[in-house]
Amino acid sequence: MLGRLRMDVDTAIDTYNNLAEQVFSDPKRWPGDGMFRATKLEKAIKSVVQNNLKTGDPEGPLLEVSDPSVCRT
Amino acid sequence: MDANIPVLFRTYQSQETHTRCKIWEAARATSAAPTFFKRIEIGNKQPFIDGGLGCNNPTKLVLKEAKLIFPTHQIGCLVSIGAGQAEVISIRTPGFLQQIMPTDVNNALKAMATDCEATHEEVSPLFADSPNIYFRINVEQGMQGIKLPGWEQVANVEAHTMQYLKKEEVVKKLTSVINAIKSPKAQLMMEQFSLQ
Repeated sequence: MLGRLRMDVDTAIDTYNNLAEQVFSDPKRWPGDGMFRATKLEKAIKSVVQNNLKTGDPEGPLLEVSDPSVCRT
Repeated sequence: MDANIPVLFRTYQSQETHTRCKIWEAARATSAAPTFFKRIEIGNKQPFIDGGLGCNNPTKLVLKEAKLIFPTHQIGCLVSIGAGQAEVISIRTPGFLQQIMPTDVNNALKAMATDCEATHEEVSPLFADSPNIYFRINVEQGMQGIKLPGWEQVANVEAHTMQYLKKEEVVKKLTSVINAIKSPKAQLMMEQFSLQ
C-alpha cells in the first residue's frame, strides 16, 4: 500500500482496517483449507489495487518500470 | 516447496524479479498465513505461503538485498518495526475461533514472535560501533489479548501503541530515527556487511 500503491499513511491505515473487516468478519463454517475465504481476500485486494493504481487496472503488474528514484518495495 | 527459502516479490528489476507477478498476487501470497488462507500458485504453478519460521523478521534479507542493489552506498538508517513483544504475545480468550483454531497455531504465533526477536538480537551487534543507524521499534506491553484475525480490536492495538509511543526512551528513539532519516550520517559501507 505504501510502496507500490503510493498511499499516504492515514489512507493505508483506513484501507487496511476496511480490508481486515471485509476479510476476517466472516470465518468459514467448515475451515478445511484455511479459516477464511481466499476468494474474499482476493476480491478485496483487487478492489484496493483498482482504486489506487493510476491505471485503475486490478490486474496491474507488481514490477514498476518508471522512475528509478521512486521507492523500491 | 521449501517454506524456509524466502522469495522476495520486488517492484523493481533485479536478477531474481518475478517479472510477471501481479500486485494482487504478491499481496495474496504474503497474506497466506498457514491455517488462515490456502496457499496461492503464481506463474509456473509455484505455490507460496506467508513467511515460515525464520522468515518473519526480514532485516537480514533487507541488508543482503541493499548490498546487492546499492553495493557502493552507505547505510543511513534502518528501521525495524515489530508487531508486539515475544513473551507477551499469547492468545488468551477462548472463544469460538479458539476452538476451531488448532493449538499449534498458538504455538506457531509465539514461535514467530520469538523468531523476530532472535533476528533482532543477531542484527543488533552489526551496528554496535555505529550508533543511531539501526532502530527496532516494537510495542512491549498489552498485545497479549489481541487475536491475529482481531480486526474488531484495532482500537486496543492503537491504545497500546500510543501508550508505548509516549514512553520517554521511545520518544528519544523516535527523535533519533527522524534525525537519521533527515540528515543521515552514514558511516557504514554496505560492503562491510557479511551476512549468512
